[in-house]
Amino acid sequence: MILRNRRNEYITAAVLMAPFIIIYGLLFLYPTVKMVQLSFTDAPLIGDGNFVGFDNFVRLWKDRLFASSIWNTLYFVVLSVFPSTVLALFIAMGVNRLKGWVQSIVLACFFLPYILPVSVVYNIWGWILDKDFGVAQYVIAPLTGGQHINVFRTLPLFMPAAAFLTVWWLIGFNMLLFIAGLRNISTEIYEAASLDGAGRWTQFSQITWPLIWPVTVLVLTIQLILQLKIFDQVYLFSRGGRVDATATMVQYIYKQAFTANHGGLAAAASLVLFLVIVIFSVLQFQILRVRGADR
Amino acid sequence: MIKGMLKLALAATALLTISAVTVAQAKDTIVWWDFLGGGDGVRMKSLIDEFNKEHADTVEIQATTLDWGTPFYTKVQTSAAVGQGPDIMTYHESRIPLGISTGSLSEITPAELAASGIKSSDFEPANWKQAQGADGKQYAVPLDIHSIILYYNKTLLKNAGLLGDDGKPKGLDGVANWDAALAKLTANGVVGLSVPTADGATMWRIFYTLLNQQDGVFLSKDGKFLDGDNLDKATTAMTEMNKWVKSGWTPANTEYPASIALFTSGKAAFHINGVWEVPTMVDLQKKGSLFDWGAIQIPTLYAHPATWADSHSFAIPNRQGNPVDPAKRKLVLDTVHWFNEHSLAWAGGGHLPAFAPVRSSDDFKNLKPNADYASLAATAVFDPVSTLAGVASPVYDAAGNYIMPAMNGDLAPADAASQMRDDLQGQVK
Repeated sequence: MILRNRRNEYITAAVLMAPFIIIYGLLFLYPTVKMVQLSFTDAPLIGDGNFVGFDNFVRLWKDRLFASSIWNTLYFVVLSVFPSTVLALFIAMGVNRLKGWVQSIVLACFFLPYILPVSVVYNIWGWILDKDFGVAQYVIAPLTGGQHINVFRTLPLFMPAAAFLTVWWLIGFNMLLFIAGLRNISTEIYEAASLDGAGRWTQFSQITWPLIWPVTVLVLTIQLILQLKIFDQVYLFSRGGRVDATATMVQYIYKQAFTANHGGLAAAASLVLFLVIVIFSVLQFQILRVRGADR
Repeated sequence: MIKGMLKLALAATALLTISAVTVAQAKDTIVWWDFLGGGDGVRMKSLIDEFNKEHADTVEIQATTLDWGTPFYTKVQTSAAVGQGPDIMTYHESRIPLGISTGSLSEITPAELAASGIKSSDFEPANWKQAQGADGKQYAVPLDIHSIILYYNKTLLKNAGLLGDDGKPKGLDGVANWDAALAKLTANGVVGLSVPTADGATMWRIFYTLLNQQDGVFLSKDGKFLDGDNLDKATTAMTEMNKWVKSGWTPANTEYPASIALFTSGKAAFHINGVWEVPTMVDLQKKGSLFDWGAIQIPTLYAHPATWADSHSFAIPNRQGNPVDPAKRKLVLDTVHWFNEHSLAWAGGGHLPAFAPVRSSDDFKNLKPNADYASLAATAVFDPVSTLAGVASPVYDAAGNYIMPAMNGDLAPADAASQMRDDLQGQVK
């Protein structure tokens, strides 16, 4: 009897999961396998190529542009992931103190940029920072002795500026996650703590921080994976400029696949990016979890 | 009686249905893809409407506009590979070598051209040849020649004594004269020249113009970039461009829209940009918010006149396993010929019609400002014939990577030239 029930359960489970498994296999697993195959050929963007062994990977290893694209990507990750997490926590703690409709309005204001498409973000900041007509130049000019600066054509400023507006754009989502986490902390804990004479800082370091840690790990991991795949903003702002100097990994893949028509090489680069993301996110998640468990 | 009426009604309905079906069958459709946005898009749409109206009973063009540049060409390539896509598409001539190498383009035979009345003698030889493969086969028919031109503010030039009696600038030829003119015009908060100095594509167009005015060869026949003394000529061109910025005659790192705004607000006496910005000026003047302006061919700074040019052309995609059938091809080429015959309307976008009979017509000669710079067609130089060249290509990328920083003073011109050569040479398979 139990056996039969179990078999029925298996059948039901299989029927319920089949659509997902089929679509997942067709649209994700199959292309992934093909991409791995492609990375060992000299195929163009469309059509088949000859098997060339590890040639593509050797070429990537020797390619200065690929090396600099990895460096640029990591630089961008450092500049965007940590600030967007820390700032989001601060804003969330601030918003959490507000009450009623004031809280809703402030929350909406911080969240608003997140719903914008990247093209709109690009245009907004393009005009704000424009060298000749941008309002930001009123802030920049006194700092440089009257000189206007084209931020996205000044190499040392490119990545910091791209990271800054990415933080501005995406911080709303992180903030929401933190607010959800903060609301899960019972107020009774804080009340008990203040009765025991704990100050603001002690409350934060002994209660809020440890209890919000799992959310922090989540936010950091989501941000890390997202920003390792950075493309849109950097592509848009570097268009027509020194694209090679600021190219990120996905941009390198895009260039090889769509501009240079090197499908095989682009697939190999994609595979490397995939491995980088897997390694970094597993590493980060493990390290952060271990740290969390210690507490 | 009622039965009879019913029969009649049925018969009439049947007859109507049949005739409707036959009409629908008789009317051919042409699936059309282009990448024309902005004013060009509006102009092309009205031309297509005119075509559809004129051929209301026989042909209908079903047009789709896609994103310009890499997205367009990627879509063409992928759709052709799986036997999908349009019957006709717009194509940059500079992009044809890459189109041939990826198998996206279908050859148009001399017999087909002749059958639709398309003659090579109706086009500038360089313009016609640019639509051919290395084997001399024709892959496209040009619609226009578009280039960069020199826009000028008549009031500012007049005050500086640089305007001739014919309303055109005078004494700009030769590096010394040109530099002197820029220096003279740079005064009282006005700069001599605005160009989109933050835009690699514009850098390429100016650089290629100056290189060819010195007889420089960007890519030699045996596949070498900036070979021999061409490297020095490239350095000379970039040094000159850098001088405009260094001397304060041209603002550095200016974005594309801002460079136009500098000119249209009277803060720059000259502006170098594509002919496609002519409608911007025309529209502003119509609204009464622009000064008296004009546009001429880029002055000859070196040995002889030459101007970078590209061409919007029409091509038939090479749809794998599902080719455009011969009858449709004939129809498509007839349509191409119709558009060339009607390309005066297209010239409203600043372009020069590729079709010589239109360009030599009185109507065109009265079309200002196009007629003032139409002379550039005879000495136009098209992009190098290479899979690495053309719009949105590695060469355009290289312009952003090397020529742009050289002009803006972030990279020494000689270094920029040799680095650009090595980079592009390294990309040759």
